Amino acid sequence: MIELRELEVRYGKRRVLHGINLTLKRGESLSIVGESGGGKTTLGLSIIGLVEGTVRGEILFDGKNLVALAEKELKEIRWNRIAMVFQNVENALNPLYTVLDQVSEPIVAHKLGDRNEAKRRAGELLSMVNLPEGRFYAYPHQLSGGEKQRVLIAMALANDPDLIILDEPTTALDALTKVEIINLILTVCKERELTILLLTHDFYAASTLSDRMAVLYAGRIVEFGPTPALLSNPRHPYTRGLLRCYPSMTTTKDLQGIKGRMEFFDDGCPFHPRCTQSIEKCREGAPRLEEYDGRLIACHRGGIIPLLELRDLSKSFDSLKAVDSIDMTLYEGETLALVGESGSGKTTTAKLIMGIFEATEGRIYLERKQILGRDKSFYQRVQMIFQNPMEALCHLFSVREAVREPLDIQKQGNREQRESKVQHILEEVELPSSETFMNKYPHQLSQGEAQRVSIARALVLNPKLLIADEPTSALDASTQAKVVKLLLNLQEKRGIGMFFITHNLALARKISDRLAVMLRGTIVEEGPSSEIISNPLHPYTKDLLKAAPTLNSNVPIVPKTTSKKNEGLGCPYANRCDKAIEVCFNEKPQLRIFDSHRVACMNL
Amino acid sequence: MHINYWNELTRNNFGKLGLAMLCFVLFIALFAPFLARYDPGEPSHAIFMQPSFEHWLGTNDIGQDIWSRLICGAKNTLLVALGVGVFTTLLSTVIGASAALVGGLCDRILMRLIDALIVIPAFIVIILVAAYVLPNVWTLIFLISILTWQGGARLVRAQTLSLKERMSVYAARTFGANKLYIIVRHIIPNLSPILFAVFIHSATRGVFMEAGLAFLGIADISTVSWGLMMHHALRFYYLDVWKWWLIPTGLALSVTIMALVFIGHAFETAMDPRLRVVEQEDWQ
Repeated sequence: MIELRELEVRYGKRRVLHGINLTLKRGESLSIVGESGGGKTTLGLSIIGLVEGTVRGEILFDGKNLVALAEKELKEIRWNRIAMVFQNVENALNPLYTVLDQVSEPIVAHKLGDRNEAKRRAGELLSMVNLPEGRFYAYPHQLSGGEKQRVLIAMALANDPDLIILDEPTTALDALTKVEIINLILTVCKERELTILLLTHDFYAASTLSDRMAVLYAGRIVEFGPTPALLSNPRHPYTRGLLRCYPSMTTTKDLQGIKGRMEFFDDGCPFHPRCTQSIEKCREGAPRLEEYDGRLIACHRGGIIPLLELRDLSKSFDSLKAVDSIDMTLYEGETLALVGESGSGKTTTAKLIMGIFEATEGRIYLERKQILGRDKSFYQRVQMIFQNPMEALCHLFSVREAVREPLDIQKQGNREQRESKVQHILEEVELPSSETFMNKYPHQLSQGEAQRVSIARALVLNPKLLIADEPTSALDASTQAKVVKLLLNLQEKRGIGMFFITHNLALARKISDRLAVMLRGTIVEEGPSSEIISNPLHPYTKDLLKAAPTLNSNVPIVPKTTSKKNEGLGCPYANRCDKAIEVCFNEKPQLRIFDSHRVACMNL
Repeated sequence: MHINYWNELTRNNFGKLGLAMLCFVLFIALFAPFLARYDPGEPSHAIFMQPSFEHWLGTNDIGQDIWSRLICGAKNTLLVALGVGVFTTLLSTVIGASAALVGGLCDRILMRLIDALIVIPAFIVIILVAAYVLPNVWTLIFLISILTWQGGARLVRAQTLSLKERMSVYAARTFGANKLYIIVRHIIPNLSPILFAVFIHSATRGVFMEAGLAFLGIADISTVSWGLMMHHALRFYYLDVWKWWLIPTGLALSVTIMALVFIGHAFETAMDPRLRVVEQEDWQ
């Protein structure tokens, strides 16, 4: 129905839209999301020919190029075939006319009926958008925000258009009114088989109103695909950033922002200054929108890269299989929480990645390259926070020496630079950087201080991948909160991938994007954290969730180990699972895919 | 835990006493040229003189001033203590630490070598060697060290094995440290209490062995050595010379050995208890 080809809009020298290509078929709905200032409204306005800048490229509407059309012909199409609901509810209505008059105006203007006919149709439209009849003769200032929005929608529908452009239709509305308006739009569009182009920064509106979604950043489309897929698994760093900023009841992770501000670039990827995985290439040329797994992504790195991949990783200590062919992927800038009881092989996995243990089998990939040997540059990128800080700190080293040690080993900078880096990082982890403190020895530190020194040591090299083995287990809640916030901020700023080992599910829920539940060396459930928290499938995960801390006084009932012997052949949870059947004791369940999880359970 | 060993040593009464005694001997050795009234080797006086204002402790069988010889003997004893201490500690460290760090076949070979060498009685071997070459101080230091490093090496190996499994060493490895860095910055500093203990023990034993050998007459006759003085004094014990010749020398030797033993003892109490147990098992 409508097709944009290499659409480009300039305001003077400033290019606001770059090479936009979009097609929208009749009856489809498409949302364009992005931060304000990204060019969404300009895109809408350029389609109905109201944009003030210079437009290049083609806008084909039923075969006609709207860009080349004269204003007179454009008028025929505008409001008759393409209507727009403008963004600013407060200013879009003329305060001197009643709403009925305003809705009838386009009908009269396009000579579709006389004044009385127009008023009758306007009345119909207003009742269709559920405006009470008593409000028809009200002036705009007498209406509430929701009512004004309804009037604007009625206005857009007045001439029975085919395509309706909705510019932020729900932004300023309260939750219930928002739902009402969304329902209204949905019913109206269904009745009239309208095509929707939704311009919004509200993911809720986009997810309910559109089938497909395009993410617009600084005048370029950076990701384009089916709405549910984009929302559940964003692949462009910007899409993920946007979703992380958006508070919703689905996500469990703490809100995170996107560093920096939006700027328009003629050359290079527009997102590169804010992107945490940008490389040299990103500065040089703008990436083209290319297809990756059923969606279009404009990224030189092919979207968010997998930072760490574990493939069939195993580690045996004699006959004991501490880690039994696990498979995990950690993406750049994300947190993968590994949850499980003590002795389940979490720390062993971490040590395998760090090369402290040699894997019996399996492969580890860092940024898609297999790790074969580990040299200084590897450890510059990958760091670990050890579980027991008192052991991990050498008792002969003062705080200063301990934090400086990684810099000394890596030979980074001169003495003064190292010294100032040490002070800086100590302040970042909320430790004093005073002379007295820096000259203290580990035994003079409290457990919490030692833990933070050990965190500072791991962060001072500015790693890309951080393996955190119970980094907050020794800390009290207030320090834990600070440390966790620090780590999340660093993730936002530097795109640190965090492999977070914890037994605290409540904590994991707040900081992780993905969650893996480990039991006796195997992964029993893995998936997006929000999914696993809201809909756990494995009995062990369910029990872990039951046992996770709440502020209620009820003590949950957790299953006891039954007397049935589990010889290691079957499911690792068989002897504690109340749903265990015969087969659970004899056969080891494999990870299978259920929706977005992977679960290893015989009973599913 | 971080321990300031010097503080621990000076806080302990034995430590203080030992240090004071050692300092005293050291003082005498350093200022021997000013304290001695005659050249210790100069046989120019009347023999077997009783103590007098000229000769505080009298003279010996060939007319040398005993006081001067006693003063100058301190140098010889301390030299042996230092030499054997340093050399043995070095050997123990190099062999023990490399056995632990390299591990595998190297470890096994070195440990069996130690097992074999530890049964060789050092004293007898030195007497045998002395039958062919008359040992001077340096040969003696070399011989004693080469025959007594095994115990220390075992100790160092055991400690290094536990040190290299420490989390802090793994942490250093995860910063990209190479083996040399780990040895220099982590293993050796953490070994230092053990090395000091090995040093003190070896020094004590060195002094004792040198004196013993000299007492048996196995020493270069031209050296001024307390052991040798006792060896000579004993030949004339019937002449009443033992009062001024034998006893002061024996006392001086005792003071030195006691100083070292006291320091070693104070040091052991300062170190952590686990280490002490290991030490007793392995050292004796």
